[in-house]
Amino acid sequence: MATDFWASSHYKRWIVDRATLKESRSDDLQYVDDPEYLDFFAIFFANVITKLGKKLNFRQRVIATAIVFFRRFYIKNSYCETDPFIVIAACCYVAGKAEESPVHIKNMVAEARLFFSQQPYGVKYFPSDNSKLAEMEFYLVADLECDLTVFHPYRTLLSICKKESSNDLQTEAGEVGVGVDDGPRYWGSGDGQLELPDDAFQLAWSIINDTYRSDLCLLYPPHLLAITALYLAVVLHGPTRELLQQQSHSVEVTPVHSSPRRSSRQSSSTSLGHAKKPSQDFVAFFAELNISMPLVATIAQEIISLYTLWERYLEDSDLVDSAKSAFHGHAQAQLGASHSGVSTPVENLDDAQRPHGATPTFLLQVLMRMRENRLSDMALASSGRPVAVNKMLERTQAAG
Amino acid sequence: MQVLPSAVNESLKASIAPKPGSGDVSVSPAQQSHTVEPDAEGTPRPSSPSGTTCKDLYAIVSQVGEGTFGKVYKARNVITNVHVALKRIRMEAEKDGFPVTAMREIKLLQSLRHQNVVRLYEMMVSNGSVYMVFEYMDHDLTGVLSQTQFSFSQANLKSLCSQMLAGLAYLHRKGVIHRDIKGSNILINNRGELKLADFGLARFYQKRRRSDYTNRVITLWYRPPELLFGATVYGPEVDMWSAGCIMLELFTKKPVFQGNDEIHQLDVIYRILGTPSTERWQGLTALPWYELVKPKDVIHGHFRELFSRWLSPAALDLAERLLAYDPTQRVTALEALEAPYFKEEQPPPELPVDLSTLEGEWHELETKRERAKKRRKLENGLV
Repeated sequence: MATDFWASSHYKRWIVDRATLKESRSDDLQYVDDPEYLDFFAIFFANVITKLGKKLNFRQRVIATAIVFFRRFYIKNSYCETDPFIVIAACCYVAGKAEESPVHIKNMVAEARLFFSQQPYGVKYFPSDNSKLAEMEFYLVADLECDLTVFHPYRTLLSICKKESSNDLQTEAGEVGVGVDDGPRYWGSGDGQLELPDDAFQLAWSIINDTYRSDLCLLYPPHLLAITALYLAVVLHGPTRELLQQQSHSVEVTPVHSSPRRSSRQSSSTSLGHAKKPSQDFVAFFAELNISMPLVATIAQEIISLYTLWERYLEDSDLVDSAKSAFHGHAQAQLGASHSGVSTPVENLDDAQRPHGATPTFLLQVLMRMRENRLSDMALASSGRPVAVNKMLERTQAAG
Repeated sequence: MQVLPSAVNESLKASIAPKPGSGDVSVSPAQQSHTVEPDAEGTPRPSSPSGTTCKDLYAIVSQVGEGTFGKVYKARNVITNVHVALKRIRMEAEKDGFPVTAMREIKLLQSLRHQNVVRLYEMMVSNGSVYMVFEYMDHDLTGVLSQTQFSFSQANLKSLCSQMLAGLAYLHRKGVIHRDIKGSNILINNRGELKLADFGLARFYQKRRRSDYTNRVITLWYRPPELLFGATVYGPEVDMWSAGCIMLELFTKKPVFQGNDEIHQLDVIYRILGTPSTERWQGLTALPWYELVKPKDVIHGHFRELFSRWLSPAALDLAERLLAYDPTQRVTALEALEAPYFKEEQPPPELPVDLSTLEGEWHELETKRERAKKRRKLENGLV
């Protein structure tokens, strides 16, 4: 019960290393000018899934599952060989069923068609035929190896922060073992709980949301992502950090505390001053968890790198629940003019062509170019080696 | 004998069976997918983990059932010669694609592991269908009770009852309600082991919070009175009523409450257990359909007189506690396992290992016609 995670397919088959991830992008790398664009894809497509999920009234958990499905699918497939938009629709469709929030196929097709046809996507070819989505669903489920149970960091966060009664946990009905893991935690040790001001908790929650903009959910088990998000929240949330600094143990927090990217001027100025005297020693709390703090520090660095990259990803409207703003001060200082690009129209491709930024429109052009390059390669290689063709997807596109 | 088409070489996984210590070895899905990549030319691949092509991994022997979302076949793994049950999931491209019930069953079974719950070995994709690969069970309870060559001893029946309750206790501890306990979903193999199967209607529930669920679950004859009274807020007690029905059926060899529709079902129950009153069942009058289906006249139950010819006193006690009208008074699976019937009364439970002497395989489907014939005879003999 409490060991569900360790017996799960999530742990056994779907936590991969960086080498595997790199290998899975090898085809894409042949056709992309700058490998960094692929990292932008990770942000872009996660945003698309989030927005489509919100149109479908999905809970955060369902959206997160859809994104994990999408990432797992692209461990085995290439962006340049597939149509990410039908994959996205299928991921949302399957996640809805897997998380007990099913959407009718008709509605799914209608919502996806409408949403994708709008700017900036302008996808006009999305098939109106239900069976095309059903076909893609089948293909997706096969590549997911029918492993439909996904663990997320939210539950760890909730259980550590005593938020068991919140609505978010209630919405987790249907998850394996919900309501039964009253026993020992499946990770680390200690059963202490962290008393966190609400806005620090919200910050941790948003950081978890943000981790889905990268491959972190494929690289690390969810409880470590949750603890890292908590750790970052404690460090970044102004009042909480001040309390922390008042405590004499601050030396032990060095791994990330001394990081040059730690600073977060804005968050300390925007956060509400919940100057509640802590009844708790945060450092001791993290120490008692008995998990690898160096690993947490590594993950923290990766999350911060994600934010650095994300700063250069521009969209007309940023997601509301993003914790990105917590990093604005820092990123602006480092990147100077880059963020001011928000005020200029993102459709301006010359602007987007800058080597250090990306917009949805620009990324879609990159994707189109990758696919064209690949197709022309295939056309030339008439006698050459067989090129893996995903027949079903090709057909799906042709029909659309 | 029919062989599955070549696309079985898309078989998703050699096995989902965990190996001891495999927890710390992370095999990348990408690598795994490489080993099972379909061969474009259709030529035999040099080798797969099992040393042969997956093309002929399973040979279908016969059809053994018709599930909620597709046919069930008996098949043989041609390498190991081990029999499996293949449950084909029918895709409904025109409707809603991959059936949500199948998805539920897959998710549930992947997280369950118990000697009294049927084991899902792996998932397999073949020729446009998804197959669930189960351990093979020779019989189901309906089938095995319908045959007349082999009869269970009292100790055997006690064992079957205890195994069923152990399976339910495990499910309920894991937060799963089965919601379709009935004879054809209870499987028995020739070693006398009983396993619960068919989780198409099952779902997770939260122990701390009662949720609203659909009321249209559980095959009518095994459906508890609270559902017949329209309850949508319920828990694992619904399975315990069904278990009570099964317990009686083990002894009498036929379903005890055979109603034709919901109203008649309640009527049949009243005739045996008597009509419920607010003393016996506190929340009775608050149930949604109480005014619609409440008993018209008071009937006195004659449960013990009726079943004492088959069941021992301790068995009657347990059955009565399983068939308590008030769900809050109904015995839980864990409590039931501690009942004097198992712990004190002789004889102690004994696995029906002699089932291996039984000729043929007795499933509801393949024995349907024969069973109907035999049951008519049997009923004539009994009445």
